[in-house]
Amino acid sequence: MRLQLTLLLAVAVVAPRPVAADDKVDATTTWYQEARRGNLGGLTVVHPQVDFGVGDEVSFEAGWSADAVTGATAAVYAVDAVSSATKFSDLRNEGHASLGFAGRRSQLAVTGSVGAERDYLSITAGGSGSIDLPGKNTNVALSYTHNFDQVCDRDNAMLGPLERRPLTGLDPCNKNYILGKDTPGMTVWRDVAIDTAQGTITQNLSPTMNLQVGLWGQIVDGFQSNPYRRVRVGQIDAQEHSPGTRARGALSARLNRYLIPVHAALHLSARLYSDTWGVNSAAVETDWSQYLGSDLLFRLRARIYQQTAATFFKDAFFYETESTAGEYFTGDRELAPVRNILVGGKFTVLTVAEDKKVWGVFEKVQFNLKGDVIFLDELPADDPDANAAGTGDQFLTSGQLIDAFVVQAGVLLNF
Amino acid sequence: MASRFSSRVALALALVALASGCGRWAVRASEKEHLADPVMVFDGDPHEASADEHVLSNREGSAGGRGGGGGCGCN
Repeated sequence: MRLQLTLLLAVAVVAPRPVAADDKVDATTTWYQEARRGNLGGLTVVHPQVDFGVGDEVSFEAGWSADAVTGATAAVYAVDAVSSATKFSDLRNEGHASLGFAGRRSQLAVTGSVGAERDYLSITAGGSGSIDLPGKNTNVALSYTHNFDQVCDRDNAMLGPLERRPLTGLDPCNKNYILGKDTPGMTVWRDVAIDTAQGTITQNLSPTMNLQVGLWGQIVDGFQSNPYRRVRVGQIDAQEHSPGTRARGALSARLNRYLIPVHAALHLSARLYSDTWGVNSAAVETDWSQYLGSDLLFRLRARIYQQTAATFFKDAFFYETESTAGEYFTGDRELAPVRNILVGGKFTVLTVAEDKKVWGVFEKVQFNLKGDVIFLDELPADDPDANAAGTGDQFLTSGQLIDAFVVQAGVLLNF
Repeated sequence: MASRFSSRVALALALVALASGCGRWAVRASEKEHLADPVMVFDGDPHEASADEHVLSNREGSAGGRGGGGGCGCN
């Protein structure tokens, strides 16, 4: 179940992109490695992306991406998550296309995508538009995407929340091309509708400084639990039960400052986020981009993030000893109180030649190599003094300083 | 609650008005050399931006707010 991947897709599709001045081929592969406790190995995700774009005033882009996921996961959210850990693997494919129209001061684009994996199907449609206001120092952009998604679930008929059984990897999730096909008595496909909208204002503040302010909102309506995950409530291991509707909003600001004497740029950004499940978060990031000569660019990056828990999230010990906090219960680490620190760097080789090809038919060639390290601090959701079992074993990621790293390599060719 | 919402809408409209007003005089076309530099473009590498959001939104309970698009009005 990869609802988050689909949310990501909504974000990616909804974000208006500058229309490329050149035809291009862009290929990138990202390797994400997360440490996991136990003897089943970590979590590995390989994420290739390929995009192809042609046109200027009227442009067409198409692309493909995938996620090959293997690793360990905890089947039961309990005081000791390691003992219930199992291995799993999944493959997700996604294709997307967009048609863009660019005028002297404005751009319009319509986008669509289709994504499929064993237990999740996604179809999106959206549009975006942007306009430069008089003076061409202010750009206003709006975008919207709707997801028509389906998630495979165990057919639990009319069973109550504490009686529901989880989906397993052996259950059939049959499909009719890109639509789910129920298997009565075994599995059903549940709808998830996602509406995502975003507005941004980008402002040139001076010849060396620009600012972007963004407002993002999303409403998710439908089945949002992980159908595989169980939560130990009292003596019962019941399928995770999350609310059916979630409204989310984020306000962000980003500032770039070019520093002429050192041929570098400072980037600052901040984001505040809140949703109706009670998750509130703040993130701040600072980057430094440094040119080394005319062809090499190096960027350093540091980001700090912290969030509160969803109102229905409890540390595993309290689900087991005190039951739930209302109707819902979850073992999702993303809904727990956590703090992340990310540090990383990116190295870019940029080759451009004036009025001639630099390689074959290509006028510009760019290579990127990037690496990030992510540190994780899992915080207690409930009174730690009353938690006799502690929180040190409730996630497979508990108690580790370096939680994950990301390595990314890419090439962009313009022709 | 309604008054808080109205205040936020008023603030957003004021920001838009302020920003569009600045747009008339802030930076002349001949002064946009550095604003056109690739390092000054928000999310200038779409693959990196989407992969970044991919990683973070799978680790965190929040999403969105990354912005995107924009541009310096340099062409």
